[in-house]
Amino acid sequence: MAWKDLKNKVKRQLSDYMDLPGDIMLDLPKIVLVGNLQVFIENHRGIQEYNPNLVRVVVSDKVIEVTGENLTLRNIIPDEICVEGQISGLAFLS
Amino acid sequence: MFFKILNYLYGYVTITLPEECLEKFVNMATTRGIYLWDITNSIGNQVALNVRTRDVPPLRHIARMTRCRFHIIKRSGVPFFINQLQHRKALLGGALFFVIVLYSLSSFIWFIDIKGNKSISEAKITKVVQQAGVHRGLPKRSVNAAELEKAIIQQLSGLAWVGVTVDGTRLEIEVVEKVLPPNNGAQIVDLVAQKDGLIKEVLVLSGHPLVQEGDTVTAGQVLISAAIPPPKVEEYDKKNPDVVEDEDLQQQVQFVHARGIVRARIWYDGYEEVKLREQQKRPTGQQITKLCMKIGSKEIILMGPRQVPYTNYVEYAEVKRFPSWRNIVVPVEFITVKYIEQRIYYQEFNRTEALRLAGEQVLEKLRSQMPERVKTLNTNLREVKTANEEDIVRVRLTVETLEEIGVEKPHQ
Repeated sequence: MAWKDLKNKVKRQLSDYMDLPGDIMLDLPKIVLVGNLQVFIENHRGIQEYNPNLVRVVVSDKVIEVTGENLTLRNIIPDEICVEGQISGLAFLS
Repeated sequence: MFFKILNYLYGYVTITLPEECLEKFVNMATTRGIYLWDITNSIGNQVALNVRTRDVPPLRHIARMTRCRFHIIKRSGVPFFINQLQHRKALLGGALFFVIVLYSLSSFIWFIDIKGNKSISEAKITKVVQQAGVHRGLPKRSVNAAELEKAIIQQLSGLAWVGVTVDGTRLEIEVVEKVLPPNNGAQIVDLVAQKDGLIKEVLVLSGHPLVQEGDTVTAGQVLISAAIPPPKVEEYDKKNPDVVEDEDLQQQVQFVHARGIVRARIWYDGYEEVKLREQQKRPTGQQITKLCMKIGSKEIILMGPRQVPYTNYVEYAEVKRFPSWRNIVVPVEFITVKYIEQRIYYQEFNRTEALRLAGEQVLEKLRSQMPERVKTLNTNLREVKTANEEDIVRVRLTVETLEEIGVEKPHQ
């Protein structure tokens, strides 16, 4: 684990130094919220749970939990998920 | 939008599967590159989602692996629509029939319009067109526009030009009538005075003169009448007895086309004044253009100044708008305004100069009332003096001319 932490640290410093966006260098998700109507999650690893009030999406090493009402998955393609509905919360669960 | 159209073209199905195995199913499908959309909760603990038709066989494989069953609840898109149509042969036949009927009916002439005729009646032209073998319900192909034009122009003598165009199912015949010169001789016409004046000479070619040299006439007065009264009975001499036979014929008033030359002296009177010190404007050569767009009542300046930087200027505006079609008017106008700077200066004259200038101006004014190349008999320019000296010169000009004043007018 220590080796991986060190690798991540170096990567982060490198991306900071070279002004590269983190979603490419560090394999982080890019999340775009459009009001409370839509949320786009790029760079995901699949969904973990779905029901109209809760959507859990797996990203690199965390889980994103979208809560709200009448949630639907508008589309799923290998690198993007779009969740639509009345979104009330967005949380990172590790 | 683009994806939706593409999905519709390829055809897609809505499937339902139990909620508990959705995650596994979806993750497996996405990793295999199957595009899923609109995943919503449907009745109970079933989840509905859309997938393209061609991805259904791989999904069956995934279903077997995840041990979920899915049901197709709805099929949409073009391939299914075509499939549906194949079962409804009558609908397809009807649509085809409609297209064929529309196409075939549009290849006939259903309307014949005639434009541009004024004195020749439409019925007359229609008759000629009928004779040429063109009528309603004729196939468009069999109408030879050039031949029809020729036929119409040959049959009707009063036409100068005929244009035949086929516009859709409408045959448009545009005619231009000949404009004939007024028929001389046959008409009963008086010669009347055009202007007020004093008769200088009268030369009668035909008709009965009503005025003499030295008479004063007013505009509209009859100079040579078309009505020739019967000769006086005293003038008959009995030596010609056969005249008596047609005496009743001689008694009648005879009508002719009055002709003759009547010259009269006409006076023109004019007044003009010139200030000794006059304000005038002259362009300085500076100009600026403003381009603005007017939408409704709102004006947006696209180019140029918001405020005109000149104190004295002349503006020329040019408005461009979209052509109106039927009763649709686009409320957008492009306005180009050109401001030309002017400088005000004062021109001063001395009295003799002003007098000459006023004389020229008043003569110019009178010239516009006179006919061209008229013989001027007399001009009289005099200055109008007032009791106290002013810095203004007033002149009055009287021009006497000799003109022919007779004009033809139908006899009443």
